[in-house]
Formats: sequence, structure tokens, C-alpha cells
Amino acid sequence: MKRGILACLLMLLSWPATAGTSYEFKALGAEIGHLKIEASGDIEAIEPLIRDFQELEPTLSITYVDSLTNDLYRMLEEACATGAIVADLVFSSSADHMVKLANDGCAQPHASPETARVPPFANWHDEVFGFSFEPAVIVYNRNLVPPADVPRSRDQMVDLLRNKAAAYDTRIGTYDIARSGIGYLFGFFDAQQSSAFGRMMEGFGRAHARLYCCTGELLRDIESGKILIGYNLLGSYAYGRFKAGAPIGIVLPRDYTLVLSRAAFVPAHAANPQAGKKFLDYLLSLRGQKMAAEKSFFFAYGQAAPEGVDAAEPGLQSGIYRPIPLGPALLAVTDRHKKARLLKEWNQSFQAQ
Amino acid sequence: MAGKTPSLFWRLTTAISLGLLLGAGILAYAAYNYAHTAADDAYDRLLLGAASQIGETIRVEDQVITTDIPVSAFETLSVSRRERVYYRVVGPDGTSLTGYDDLEVPQNLLRTGPSPKVWDATFKGYPVRIAAISHYVSDPAATGWATILVAQTRDARNALARELTLRAMALVGIMSVIALVGVVLATRYALRPLHRIEQALGSRDPNDLTPLDISAPVEIEGLTQSINHFMERLSGRMDSLQSMIADAAHQIRTPITALTAQVELLKRETVPAKRRHHLARVVARTAQIGRLVSQLLSHAMVSHRAQSITASPIDLVELVNKAVADAIPAAMDRDISVEMNAGPAPVLIEGDPISLREAIRNIIENAVHHGAKTKITVGIEARESHVVLVIGDDGPGIPAQQWPDVTRRFFRASTEGVGSGLGLAIAADVAKNHGARLEFAHGDNDMFLVRMIFLRADGAPS
Repeated sequence: MKRGILACLLMLLSWPATAGTSYEFKALGAEIGHLKIEASGDIEAIEPLIRDFQELEPTLSITYVDSLTNDLYRMLEEACATGAIVADLVFSSSADHMVKLANDGCAQPHASPETARVPPFANWHDEVFGFSFEPAVIVYNRNLVPPADVPRSRDQMVDLLRNKAAAYDTRIGTYDIARSGIGYLFGFFDAQQSSAFGRMMEGFGRAHARLYCCTGELLRDIESGKILIGYNLLGSYAYGRFKAGAPIGIVLPRDYTLVLSRAAFVPAHAANPQAGKKFLDYLLSLRGQKMAAEKSFFFAYGQAAPEGVDAAEPGLQSGIYRPIPLGPALLAVTDRHKKARLLKEWNQSFQAQ
Repeated sequence: MAGKTPSLFWRLTTAISLGLLLGAGILAYAAYNYAHTAADDAYDRLLLGAASQIGETIRVEDQVITTDIPVSAFETLSVSRRERVYYRVVGPDGTSLTGYDDLEVPQNLLRTGPSPKVWDATFKGYPVRIAAISHYVSDPAATGWATILVAQTRDARNALARELTLRAMALVGIMSVIALVGVVLATRYALRPLHRIEQALGSRDPNDLTPLDISAPVEIEGLTQSINHFMERLSGRMDSLQSMIADAAHQIRTPITALTAQVELLKRETVPAKRRHHLARVVARTAQIGRLVSQLLSHAMVSHRAQSITASPIDLVELVNKAVADAIPAAMDRDISVEMNAGPAPVLIEGDPISLREAIRNIIENAVHHGAKTKITVGIEARESHVVLVIGDDGPGIPAQQWPDVTRRFFRASTEGVGSGLGLAIAADVAKNHGARLEFAHGDNDMFLVRMIFLRADGAPS
């Protein structure tokens, strides 16, 4: 009973957030079916994919709801527990959330010729599929950061902050891992990957780095020159701005580059699971991948980094990429002790100075 | 051939196939059990490993028990990428520290000490395997056993068990097929000597009764020996039949020729007295032929029965009484008395009653026609191990030098008389077939004695 009231309270509190932003796409022809997508992804990146998909399925009308990853997760967890029908397809950049939900039985399996081509790290249990290839990049303001200063690895970042502390004080930005799902996910794997990350965090603390909730705000402040360098931004969004003419430079760190694969699944309870699976197949198909590489995410599995990105030789990139695998290891990411510990360490680094 | 008997080949093949099938079934069951245990063992080790990896991170910080779930713990379990993984850490006071709070811990398992446990359960609707280990926390803030549970769905271990079983079954199947082919070949090979015998017999001339000259394995040597023995007997019988037919033809031709001559004489004779004489001769000759034919048949019957009738216990006294009764009409014709000297008590011997009666009748008739002047005595003496049948007459008897010959067929002691030369031969044959001896002797009161000496059926062995 107490628990029920608590759940109701939580729902009321989170109501405005869970509503997300809804976008309607009318069927191109006579409408026969409807597809509802609950996700976390900027409409600018997703819209070209939905439009292209409708060319293939002209009888489907589509509702796309964009929410913050944490809100999406809470909503889906609640729906899964009660058996409520919320969507025919869900995806999120917080792959850990998606895997945790699928592990708890909230997804339904899907196997098709398209899913068979998915690389192993992007397929969990034939339920969760990673359909994008989005590196975590360093973004800097091209006009304000001298080329010699551009950090191409975490060690170089540490050196830069030590050698030019005054110039970059309060002008470094990254995610607030307490507020951003992607920030936490990247932070978690950074902590796993290298000791340089810890030193860099201390460097960020000393430099009074600014913390952001979202990629969009970070990019805006880099473009405007409010901050000079951003760390761990989603490469897809950054490249979108770069292509639109923003005065920014994009670096794929050469020590290692984390790669996020946006994770999608068809919920166990769905009104039109066939439509969800069709769109999932489209996202994984060659046509969908090509469209995503051109219009949405710009990076693709097995392809060289796009034009204008500061990266290692194409031949070396595959060795530098560290895809975040969809698998039980992501369960450790969602562990509450683990999260509390990482947040504590993070805060200590930032408050050390 | 009687009825439809399945061939040896099918019998062997069917029996061994059934055996193989049974064996394969048992092996399949064993393989399934083994594979299941092996798969559980292998994956349980991973589960326990993951649990202890988590356990090692338990420590008390700021008065609070905390863990640092290592990614490697789950990476260990994601060796099989198809599994769902659940975990939970429970503090010494029973409160959930982290993980899936609804992953149930059996009450008797909480804080039971360090021995790890693994069991099957259902969680979130999936059949899972749960491993639990305990980790001792010693800190003023919290002391006791913390429990770490790690659960994994069964898909991978079931798949492994299935694969192991299938592989084992494939091997069992291959072995069974090899064994079956081997059995078929071995059976054909083993039955080849039988085919050789069949071909040898089949391609043989019907008159060829010589023994088979085929080397046979020990197991069917008996069969070839039986066949050879049978052919030997058949050959013997054919021989004796042929000689008997030849003898009979010869023996009958002579009196018939004589009879024809008598009839010819009778036809031409006009003197009534001589006609009567000739007629009497014809009658006598006809009777002689009749007796000859009867004795030939009797002899044939006796030799046939000797080979086809098995012996049964018979009462000699009763038998002799019947034989005497048979002979009495002929004796009375010649005014000869027949005396029977035997007690009423039955005397048992082994034998064929019909042959024996024939033999005894022939001895008596022989006495009637060739010896006895006035009387014939028949006696039975039961001794300790023998039974002796004695038939005596008061005639001249047979000279001792002819004794060895009188039991041969168609031997006549004298050129005269009406004998066929078969009577004593029949008696001797029957005696021989019964393991008895036929003896001649001169007894008291000028009696000529014929003795048949039998082994007692109820007596001591000879």
C-alpha cells in the first residue's frame, strides 16, 4: 500500500518530464497501421530515418516521443511491471537502461535476416539491438583554441590543463554524470578503461569545469565560445552541428574512443509489435544504416570517420574504438552501489580543489 | 518344412538389433544425465565465481556495508551471451544491499556460513539457476554473514547439455550402425558353411548317398554328421531293400516255375489217379508259395519295425501265449501237442511285441514243419539278469555244424520239405534287434532246444 502511494507520488512528480515531446508523422498513403516509438534521440537525427521508413511502409502512421533517458527508463520500468502498453518500439542512448529492462523480461525477441547481420557486441539475446555507431568525442571551438592546444588523447588533455591552467579555467565542459544518462555511461566505461581518466577528472576539477545535462547545451556553449573544449560529447550530434557550419572541431581520442550504440527493443507488451519489428529491421538494414550515416549519426560501424573529423588513420580506427557491448556487464552500470561509488569519486575529484 | 520359421539371419539380426536399440536407449539416458550434470557443473562454477568476485568487494565504509560490483563478474557470465543475469547482496541483518531486491533467498540459507550453494528456481518467469555464497563481515557497524546471490537463466546450459547429448547420441548411433553392419556381415559369414551344405545336397544326384565331404565348423559338425549318418542308414536300408526284393523275386520265381510245370502236367494228364496226385502237388506247392510270401512279408515287416519302432516294456508270458495260440492250428494238423511251461507271473522285457510274436511263431512253426514228432514244449525261465525263452521239440533237430547257417536267409537244412528258409532267419533278426541271442542246444529226453536269451527289462544291467 505504502509502496503504491509512493509510486503514485513518483509518477505525479515525474509526469511533466515523462510526457516527453511528441511528433506525429501521417501515413503517406491510406493509413492501415500505427507505430508508436518511445525513445531518447533528437528529432533532427531521427526524422530522416522515419521519413525514409515511411517510403517503404506508406500505410503506417508514426508517433515519435522523445524523452530524457532517465525519464524514459522510469516510464518503461513502470510499464513493464504493470504490463501497460506504451510503445511498439523503444530506443535510448542509455544502453544500460535498455539491457537492464530486457534482462528483466520487458523485451520480446526478434530474429530476422537483418538482425543476423548485427555485430555480436550490438545484439543482446536477440532482444536488444544497437543500431547506431556513435563515438564519444572531444569538441573544441576552432576559432578560440590554437591548433597546438587541441588535445588528441586524455594524456594530452591532462597536460594541457596543467600547462595552460589559467587559459582554460572554467572553460572546459562535460556531462554531469548525476544528471545525464550518457554522461554516466561514458564515465563508467572511462573509469574502467584508463587511469588517465581519473587524473583528467582531477584536472577538470582544478579547472573548475562546467557540468551539463545534455549534449545540445554543451555544443551551444562551445560554439558561442563560453567554453573552449568539451569532453565526451556524442559524435553524432557534434558532427551534425559541424556540418551545419558551426565553428567547432571534432577529435576522436587516439588512446581509445568509446563508442555508444543506441539500443532498441520491441517491448514485451506492444499494441503493434510487427510494426515495431519492421522499423527495427529498417534501422538495422543497409538502407537504414546508409541513411543514418548520411543524415542522422554520420558515423557507421565498419566505416572510416566522416570528412573533417580529427581521427587516427582509418586503418587504425577499428583498434581504437571501444564499443560499449550490449550484455550483462551493463548490469554493473545500473548497480546502485556502483553508481553511488562512481558519483562519490566523481564529486571528490571535482571538489578536491 | 513345418511352418514358417524365420531365417537364422533374421533371427540373429533382429535379436542383436533389439539389443543394440536397448543399449542405445540406456546410453542416451546416461548421456543426457551426464550432459546435464556436466553443463550444470561448468556453468555453476561460473556462477559461483561471479558470486565470490562480488563477495570480495564487500566492505564497510562510513558505517555502511557497500559493494563495488565488478564488471568482470558479469563479463564472466556473459561468456554465454544468451543469458539473463540477476544478482542480489543481502546484509547480515537481512536487508537488501544492492541488486534485485525480489530475488528470494530461502530462509534456511541466510547466514548459514561459508559453504556455497546452488539451486534451481524461477525468477521473473524464467527458469534460473541461483548460486549463493556467504561472506563474513567483521566490523563494529555490522558483523555477520552477508549473502551474495547470482542467478542465471538456463538457456546456455540447456543448449550445452543438448549439444553434448546429441554428440554422444551421434556417436552411439554411428557405433550402432557399425555394429549392425558388422552383425550382418558376421552372420552371413557364419552361415556360409550351411549354404555350402545346402548347395552340396541340392546339387547332388538323388542316388548318391555317399557321405558329405565338407569341412564344417564345430557348431554344425553335428549337423553334417547327422546328415551323413542318416544317409548311411538310408543307404543301408536301400541296399537291404534291394537285396530283399532281388531275393524275394528269385525265391518266388522258382516255386512258381515249379507250380507252372505241375499245372502243365495236370493239364495233360488223363489218368484220374495221376491227376489227383498232380493236383495234390499243386495244392502243396501253392500252400508253400503262400507261406513263403507270408514269411517274406513278415521278414520285411520285422526289419522295417526294427528301424522304426521304439522298444516298450512287454510281458513275455502273455506274448508267448499268443504266439502259441497262433501256432496251435498247424500243430494240430500234424498231431503234435504244444506244452506251455510258464508261471502266471508276468516277465517283462523291452521290445517290439509284434516282431517278437512273429519271431516266436516262426520258431514254433519251424518245429512243427521240420522237427517235432509228437510234442513241442515252450518254457520261460526268468533268471537274475536274463530271461530265457526255450522252445523244444522231440524231433531230430538241426545238426550242430549247420547251426551257424540256419539263421541265414533262404538257407535250408535239407533239400526236401516245404520250408522257405526264412523262419529262423526272422527269429534271429528279431533276436538281434532286441539285443538277444538265439542259441541251439540238445536237451534232456532227446529234445532239440531253441533258446532266445533276453536281458531283463526290470533286472540288473547286463
